[in-house]
Amino acid sequence: MPFQPTQNSFDRDLINNLLQDGIVRKKAEDQLFSQYAYFIEQAMQKYSFQEDEAFNVYADTVMAAITKITNRSFEERSSLKTWIYQIFHNKCVDLVRKRTTNKNSVNRSMAIPDMLLQMADTAKSVIQELMEKADKDLVAQKLKEVGENCRQLLLRWAEGLSDKEIAISMEYKTADVVKTSRLRCLEKLRQLYKKDKTNSIG
Amino acid sequence: MDNLDYIESYFNEELTLEKKNEFEQRVIADPVFAEEIAFYLSSKQAIATVAKKQRERFKDVYTTYKQTAQKQQPSLVRKLWPWAAAAAILAGIAFGLNTWLRSPSSKELADKYVQENFQSLPVTMGNKEDSLQAGLRLYNANRLEEALNYFEKMASKDTSFFEAKKYAGIVSLRLEQYDKAIDYFSQLANYSQLYANPGKFYHALTFMKRNRPGDQQQAKILLEQVVQNDLEGRHFAQEWLKKW
Repeated sequence: MPFQPTQNSFDRDLINNLLQDGIVRKKAEDQLFSQYAYFIEQAMQKYSFQEDEAFNVYADTVMAAITKITNRSFEERSSLKTWIYQIFHNKCVDLVRKRTTNKNSVNRSMAIPDMLLQMADTAKSVIQELMEKADKDLVAQKLKEVGENCRQLLLRWAEGLSDKEIAISMEYKTADVVKTSRLRCLEKLRQLYKKDKTNSIG
Repeated sequence: MDNLDYIESYFNEELTLEKKNEFEQRVIADPVFAEEIAFYLSSKQAIATVAKKQRERFKDVYTTYKQTAQKQQPSLVRKLWPWAAAAAILAGIAFGLNTWLRSPSSKELADKYVQENFQSLPVTMGNKEDSLQAGLRLYNANRLEEALNYFEKMASKDTSFFEAKKYAGIVSLRLEQYDKAIDYFSQLANYSQLYANPGKFYHALTFMKRNRPGDQQQAKILLEQVVQNDLEGRHFAQEWLKKW
């Protein structure tokens, strides 16, 4: 007997709305978050997480789910709840492992000012000057144009996740694949940014 | 993209000191390269702000969710509902087991006996068979009042007609006229010349069925006598006494 998808009308509507743009999508994202937010409390009880930890895991879960839905890689083989719980559970287990092996902060990248500390003063002032001129709002705006997968990759990178962590959370095969994809996405963003910047100057 | 990889290697401190110096010299000498580095760093900052905003938005959603959840927090009854349900199931099981395992009461034993043995009566043969048969036919047709009349008339006409008294007692028992039944069965029990006299056993049975205060004790005494004297109904009496 062929597998029958177990999707209900709630799931269908929510997925449809997530595939829209603007306010409809934003509302759908919020709705998705609220719908299974009780997972946070469950994780606090089951894994003895602090509320912040459980919240972060759940927020990551929802973001990952949104990415998959919007790039249509959610195969709808199970209900949204089952699928999201599976992602959430995997992320919880991952956090537990990280805590156990105490590797949680090892791969976190440094904050930007710290990153510049290692640079010689002359070079540093050149970079700082250029950074001041950078249009961060334009970067944020162009981030919407790189595609959902790239966006999520870059969001995770900017939040300080290592490539290995990103590979786990976004189901990439290896950290190397993440690195290659991430740099490609960053380059794409740069090109979009450059193009817009050049046009505005011209 | 190669430059981005190179830039990242620098900030991840993966370059040798020599390569690191070379990198920094290039920053000063190559404005395009310097701009790439600035983009790498400022884009990371900008994207981090976006990520932070997204997370904060979810934090707001979560705060709203928690407030709503608190408002909708289940009442004490709903909180205790799973426990109440579990307790009810356990009580049900206990009740079921108790009902299943406990010995039936003497009243229940009597009811069962009457149900199994007095629903219909075999037609007897004898000298006065016509009258008896007429009475039994009425009995088996569930015309109990008429049957009782028949048997009573026969018993009063011939006081030695023990079978009429036996059936008058049985019909009285079925009609729940226990006092009358007791009277007939005690008279029946007094017929000492009978080979098989169920009088005492039926007498005990009527006490069990009537179940007034003191009836059970009286019934027990009679059943013990049935057993001791090896009277009609001894096997039932033995079984019932075991469950008493």
